[in-house]
Amino acid sequence: MMKPMEKVLNFLKSITGRGAEGRLSFTAMFARFRQVLDNHNRAAEIIADMGDKLGGEYIFDINYIKSAYAELHRRLSVSLSDFDVLTRHRYARIGEVFDRIDGEIRRLVYDEGAASGDLVVFYGDITWSMAREVGGKNANLADLKNNLHVNVPDAFAVTTHAFDAFMKQNGIDAKIAALAPDKGIGEKELREIRDAIDAGALPPALENALSSALAKIGTGCGRDCFIAVRSSAEDEDGRHSFAGQFETVLNVPLDLGKVGAAYKKVIAGLFSDKACAYLLQSGYHIGNMKMAAACVLMVDAEASGVVYSTDPGGSGDTLMINATWGLGRSVVEGQTDADFYSVKKGSGAEIAETRIGQKASLITGRKSGGTSTVPTSADRKAKEALTKTQILELSERALQIEKYFRQPQDIEWAVDGAGKLFILQSRPLRARDEQGPAAGPAPGAPDSKILMRARGFAVQKGSGAGRAFVLKNRNDLDGFPKGAVLIARNDSSDFIRVMPYAAAIITDIGTPTSHMASLCREFRVPAIVNAGNASGILKHGQEITVNIDDENSVTVYEGIARGILEHAGRKTSVSMEDIYEFRKKRYVLRFISPLNLIDPLLDNFSPEGCKTMHDILRFIHEKSVVELVESARYGLKGHAAVKLDLPIPAGIMAVDIGGGLDAAAGRKGKDGTLAFEHILSIPLKAVLKGMMHPGVWHSEAVSLRAQDFLSSMMRMPDIASANDDFVEHNVAIVSREYMHLSLRFGYHFNMLDCYCSENTRDNHIYFRFTGGATDMTKRSRRIQLIAIILKEYGFNIRVKGDLIIGRLSNIRQDDMEATLDRIGRLIGYTRQLDALLHDDNRVEQYARNFLQEDYTL
Amino acid sequence: MGKNRIMVIDDEKIVGDMAKMSLEQDGYAVETFLNGETALARLSEQKFDVVVTDLKMKGIDGMEVLRTVKKLYPATRVIMITAFANLDAAIEALRGDVHDFFPKPVKIKELKASIERALEKEKN
Repeated sequence: MMKPMEKVLNFLKSITGRGAEGRLSFTAMFARFRQVLDNHNRAAEIIADMGDKLGGEYIFDINYIKSAYAELHRRLSVSLSDFDVLTRHRYARIGEVFDRIDGEIRRLVYDEGAASGDLVVFYGDITWSMAREVGGKNANLADLKNNLHVNVPDAFAVTTHAFDAFMKQNGIDAKIAALAPDKGIGEKELREIRDAIDAGALPPALENALSSALAKIGTGCGRDCFIAVRSSAEDEDGRHSFAGQFETVLNVPLDLGKVGAAYKKVIAGLFSDKACAYLLQSGYHIGNMKMAAACVLMVDAEASGVVYSTDPGGSGDTLMINATWGLGRSVVEGQTDADFYSVKKGSGAEIAETRIGQKASLITGRKSGGTSTVPTSADRKAKEALTKTQILELSERALQIEKYFRQPQDIEWAVDGAGKLFILQSRPLRARDEQGPAAGPAPGAPDSKILMRARGFAVQKGSGAGRAFVLKNRNDLDGFPKGAVLIARNDSSDFIRVMPYAAAIITDIGTPTSHMASLCREFRVPAIVNAGNASGILKHGQEITVNIDDENSVTVYEGIARGILEHAGRKTSVSMEDIYEFRKKRYVLRFISPLNLIDPLLDNFSPEGCKTMHDILRFIHEKSVVELVESARYGLKGHAAVKLDLPIPAGIMAVDIGGGLDAAAGRKGKDGTLAFEHILSIPLKAVLKGMMHPGVWHSEAVSLRAQDFLSSMMRMPDIASANDDFVEHNVAIVSREYMHLSLRFGYHFNMLDCYCSENTRDNHIYFRFTGGATDMTKRSRRIQLIAIILKEYGFNIRVKGDLIIGRLSNIRQDDMEATLDRIGRLIGYTRQLDALLHDDNRVEQYARNFLQEDYTL
Repeated sequence: MGKNRIMVIDDEKIVGDMAKMSLEQDGYAVETFLNGETALARLSEQKFDVVVTDLKMKGIDGMEVLRTVKKLYPATRVIMITAFANLDAAIEALRGDVHDFFPKPVKIKELKASIERALEKEKN
């Protein structure tokens, strides 16, 4: 007889589709989940399409961006609203984050007014999406500090918002607006602007912000310290270097008046005659560009100088270093005969050439501020400013930065009295091949043997060469050598860890809208997915050259084919970056495409961690799956369960929520059970096939030792209370593509939630295993064994004591089915295995046996 | 023999900039215009082999450019580019003896191939 409370609950559920806790009925939940997925997929396609169309191979206009973004926005809005219902408003913050990012995008797309941002930002708080407001130099340095963890001195940016505020307060913006660029801007007008800046007063808010920043940087410094105030214009150190066009004021004391004066000098530099000439030549309009400033703590430099991560005069395999005593300005401005080193690139870098300069004078910081040039002491003149160890450290750092920015860099550096290396600036180095003529047809590679040629989805076209790194096990990624070509069976967003160092990536299986694919586009790593059997054909460690072309095909040559690499360096898409309008319009992708939320197990996997539309998409997807998994446990009431008639005593009851079972009249056996052939659910069929695989299911009981038995008795109440409704049964909730399987065998629980359809992006497997009859040590060993096997299958796993959670997503249906078959075998195989795991050695042994399809116990 | 001359007309600067950058790489002489008026004025003083024009522009639009070119400079081929939403109008343009038309975004490679075909036709 139904209890009154239960009646009320059922009634509520019947009219609202919800339980008393506000939880949707499982069917309603599942329908929402499907809607989230549908919109999610369409949004992912739009993001991929925008990346493609704005990649330099299409001529596009603002209408395209507007209409594509409108559709993306619509899809995400719908997806978010379904997600909100699905998760019962638990992630309300995601809506705010979405609105904020939307605001940034609208500002760019519709040229809406600049957002009022901070006047001063410390490097630790600079994200790449702030590149325009902090200027190129700040953005590059902060990027190196925050993401590549390069040693950069403490520093803060005075943003373009400060620039706007200063110009407005002093009425200079109006003066600039009144200039008529068509008629040419004369030296007189520019001088007037510079004078007005010099005479201008800092806005009070900027004075306050600067005061606090100076106090903070002074506290961190802990000695008499000085800063360098340097230019950091919006596009500086990007495609156009503006090298030497703007102002730098070195060794400024931490005094508001002095820093304010240096700041004004730096922003006035934007209106110098030479800077304006450069701007015009580069296709900018005077007055359109804004100037931020970099305030960088001075390094008490023992030696300093410049490194070119690729020698522009060499054949591409050497880098060059110039070094001198004291501050590096003398090198930058060519004032001294500095030491010169040519270093061979590649692993085991070696110094190929050394020329010791005379270094007649050096620049030092004065105690009162400013710098002075003094003669170098006789004993130091002919002495090398760097030790061999320092040269190699600097070379390694330069190559790392080149890889990170994906092009040769012009880097300023300094070494302090304690021998510590600091990076002070990094900007693209104009290499020779950029002046080359139009790309002709790809040159043949008569000297190179073709190892493979295959078609797939070109994610990022281009070429790369290096040693093949064939990834067999996800854990091996830690050993990925810099500059290698990554070859893997499946794609994975885990590859982000090696992307800055990878010459190219090829996967046998994968989709062009995967997270990895978008990361490759963001990092411009040549990559192709779904390219057949590369991991089988290519040998680990062999030198190869990869060329991914316009026709979605990949050719892999034996050895390093220079002709191919040089040709790829002169593609149309590269030179498009020279067009200001192109860069400006393409900039919107920064708020759309990059993926920052990689690993759901990390702390930044939160609404606050979302920086782009792609992040929001990823967040919604991951949390929807988790929600579905949770809800499946509650969703059984009101559905008829059918017992499955299987050749193994697995005792599974199945509940069909749509197309999962063929339970029509006459299908069931006399005892009301349903045979295997009447199961229509793709994932359930696959996993049962595995469980029924010959030799996997051991029906004879493995004997428990007395201690294990005692251990199981102690834990009994805990287990019994975990699933009170269906404690006697194993349950599968299924539709044609979906399965939620909840199993209890003896004392352990195993849960499997998956979606398996033709649409690769929709597919996921969520695996959870916990408990056991034996003591904690043995149970943990079984977990270790499962971890080894799941990792081998490409799962992302988390282990806590005797609990393991594994996730796998974005895999093709046929691979899903094969993986589920193996998981089915694993379920059968590990049922009683803990009792046999007497020592750690057996873990490896049984895991190996299982992977070799030896299922004997 | 001199370079083939291409005129690109679009009221959005990026379209002309990108077209100029990629076509000059293939050895064409390219001039870009932001409206139909200045473009037609230039046509009256300089012969162009191919005109690539946007359809929808303020003032003299792409259809009018097409009609004028066909009437006054029949040897010059016209390629129309248009936002997807204006596809019907573009089909209308096809009836007006346009050499080719493309919805935006236009794949540069395809535009180049179309220009090559237009020049072949002109030779014949």
